[in-house]
Amino acid sequence: MVFGITGDLARKKLIPAVYDLANRGLLPTNFVLLGFARRDWGDGEFIDLARKSAKEFARTPWREDVWSRLAQSCKFVAGAFDDDAAFDTLAETLLNLENSHGVTGNAAFYLSIPPDSFPVVLKQMARTGMADNVDDSVTGYWRRVVVEKPFGHDLPSSKELNMLVDSVFGPGDVFRIDHYLGKETVQNLLALRFANAMFEPIWNSHHLDSVQITMAEDVGIGSRAEFYDATGTARDVVQNHILQLLALTAMEEPVEYTADAIRTEKLKVLRAITLPEDLSRYAVRGQYSQGWLAGQRVPGYTQEDKVPDDSKTETYVALRLGVQTRRWAGVPFYLRAGKRLPRRVTEIALTFRRGAHVPFRATDTESLGQNQLVLRVQPDEGVTLKFGSKVPGTVMEVRDVAMDFQYGTAFTEASPEAYERLLLDVLIGDATLFPRHEEVEASWQVIDPLEHFWAGQQPASYRAGEWGPVEAEAMLASDGRAWRRP
Amino acid sequence: MTTLWDTSGTEVVKALAAARNNGGSMTSGLALTFVVVAEEKDVEPAERAASSAAAMHPCRLIVVVRRDPLGNTPRLDAEVTIGGRLGPGEALELRMYGRLSLHAESVVLPLLAPDAPVVTWWPGVAPDTLATDGLGVFADRRVTDADAAPDPISALRQRALDYAPGDTDLAWTRITQWRSILATAADAAGGAGRMVTIVGAEVNGADNSASAALLAGWLTSRLGADVPITSPGQGTAIDAAGIAGVRLDLAELPSIQVSRRDGVGVVSQEGRPASSAALTERDTGELLGEELRRLDIDELYCGALEGATNSRNLSGRSPTRSLVWQDPATPDRKPPGAKRIAAAKSGSPSAS
Repeated sequence: MVFGITGDLARKKLIPAVYDLANRGLLPTNFVLLGFARRDWGDGEFIDLARKSAKEFARTPWREDVWSRLAQSCKFVAGAFDDDAAFDTLAETLLNLENSHGVTGNAAFYLSIPPDSFPVVLKQMARTGMADNVDDSVTGYWRRVVVEKPFGHDLPSSKELNMLVDSVFGPGDVFRIDHYLGKETVQNLLALRFANAMFEPIWNSHHLDSVQITMAEDVGIGSRAEFYDATGTARDVVQNHILQLLALTAMEEPVEYTADAIRTEKLKVLRAITLPEDLSRYAVRGQYSQGWLAGQRVPGYTQEDKVPDDSKTETYVALRLGVQTRRWAGVPFYLRAGKRLPRRVTEIALTFRRGAHVPFRATDTESLGQNQLVLRVQPDEGVTLKFGSKVPGTVMEVRDVAMDFQYGTAFTEASPEAYERLLLDVLIGDATLFPRHEEVEASWQVIDPLEHFWAGQQPASYRAGEWGPVEAEAMLASDGRAWRRP
Repeated sequence: MTTLWDTSGTEVVKALAAARNNGGSMTSGLALTFVVVAEEKDVEPAERAASSAAAMHPCRLIVVVRRDPLGNTPRLDAEVTIGGRLGPGEALELRMYGRLSLHAESVVLPLLAPDAPVVTWWPGVAPDTLATDGLGVFADRRVTDADAAPDPISALRQRALDYAPGDTDLAWTRITQWRSILATAADAAGGAGRMVTIVGAEVNGADNSASAALLAGWLTSRLGADVPITSPGQGTAIDAAGIAGVRLDLAELPSIQVSRRDGVGVVSQEGRPASSAALTERDTGELLGEELRRLDIDELYCGALEGATNSRNLSGRSPTRSLVWQDPATPDRKPPGAKRIAAAKSGSPSAS
């Protein structure tokens, strides 16, 4: 059951993911997709929309027979969120599904709606008895709710939201989607670290010099101007995606691969994050100005539609964080995220310390950098190991080379989309890849002081199509390091 | 091979990623990105040279051809190959038309191999100020060819004026074999175990050869004494670098004469048997292959350039350049200095 089924997310991600799951035969036989939106529609119009979006955005090949079976399980209820009658109809439709489609009461509610509509929708669900926070073993069926980011806009608002959702559903039935965690490479980070013998012994401050986490987007703010201008990069992606990547990189080994064990370890890391004392140097904000990107002329942020001319919202953030644990003390975590950067790329790069002694002449190793292990999250998912090697020839000349592992070539099976994986997890009740509310709150505890510090300040300017403002370069240069060009 | 007509930078990035995914093992282990900035008339020989260099150094080769920068219709055509006519590695040929060609770096920047050094090569006449070309600004190493200019000597002087550590010139690479013959000849001249002192030298070569000037400049910087260039007499054979021979004057010993005959460098000195070593004419591909071996700053070139052009303290300059925006549509306007100004300027409607 999806609230806001006509929205961008539902059309581009959720409906195609449902089709892909159906195509791979992973949906239960008694599955029904129930849409709710303020449109004067019947099932027919909804099926048309779903067909169109599945055909356009699905990952797997189009199969008419799969679709026609799925189309029989698509239902639509029209109404506004404050319309009691519509919600009564919805509750009734849900009940009737048992007779028409054999649905035995299990239901997942996907709130693909703006967060300010959460309270009214949740109250409606509580009123009509659709949600229940009773133990599943008592009712005999489950009711789950899926919440999209943003999970609030600061610590108090996120606490309030968590309390509201947890009071209508049980805390164990709330699935907070951070689609980054659904990506194969992110899950592979756990496999790489904890299934192998060779990485974990050097995964600490004895061997690592620093960690860089980059999340670059080449696109601008698109049609999200109003939302983005009120949010900014730190709240939009650093609070959730980047801090989750940091937590997975820095966490201790969970005792077992279960939701509770992993979420507990992540929470420990998030709570151990420290901010630098000198925020003016180590917390840089940027805003893109007009420039050329990938051969196209693109406008500056303040020239975008619906963005005020004097907006002080950031479209770029570079940060230095510390993790105060025995494993990480002294290893800086440099994070950066931004829009209108040259290329769309997300990666985690671990830079190793230099060898304590190198027996070659300085001129022989002049083009030798520090060893690096790079986890490419998107695109070209995979792992790169960078190390020095002798250049063939009569002289000793050592140069960096890269060894590449690519998912695309190592496994012929195409990776499922993040939403496919996450939707399936919701249906089978596996919460491993969903952050717990304590994690969300610990993340806000990192972001809030930054937002407080930045309030009223003008972000540094960078040209669209460049790798961020010079202030971000200066921040690493003052530590004797440089950003990796991803 | 993927050919894209009237495409966008984003499509090229996607095509490269797709080609990499289908390409198999050849694609891993890139040591550098090699950017070639060629004019249409130079494209063919430049690509031949670049692909033979690419066979020696695993690199991502990006050939950029700018056409009609004053034209009204910006357009990008691209060709993506892996293991094809442009060498064994990944190669892109990008043709840019109209105003887009003035912002070529915006297309190339997303295509650079991650965290690998970037080398930019101008096979034809290089810009007077390399920083006016965005494709040179992001490069760690910049390779020009003064001998390709109509007046190689003034081109070399311009290279010294514009020098930043990380620059080199193929006129310099052309004399590597000369330098190694001269070094071994000087080592052997004194007989076993005896060092010699070189008190002077003279280069016999064409007066319009940048290579001859750099050879003299190198000797000047090593010897600390001015090394003149004399014109070869009628009928004296000179090589592709424009050099006929070199004489080294020694303290207390007869001079050493090195000259080139039929692809062999012959070392003669009174009282000693003549010796010889190969002094072949190498094609541009081999020169580039040598140039790409070392990606650090070439300090010897810097010294030779100082000697050849009588300039000082070139090595003390900053190795990074920032873009100097020059608009061919308004050539009489004084170019503003920094890139931040460039951003503001392209904001005015007339500059689109």
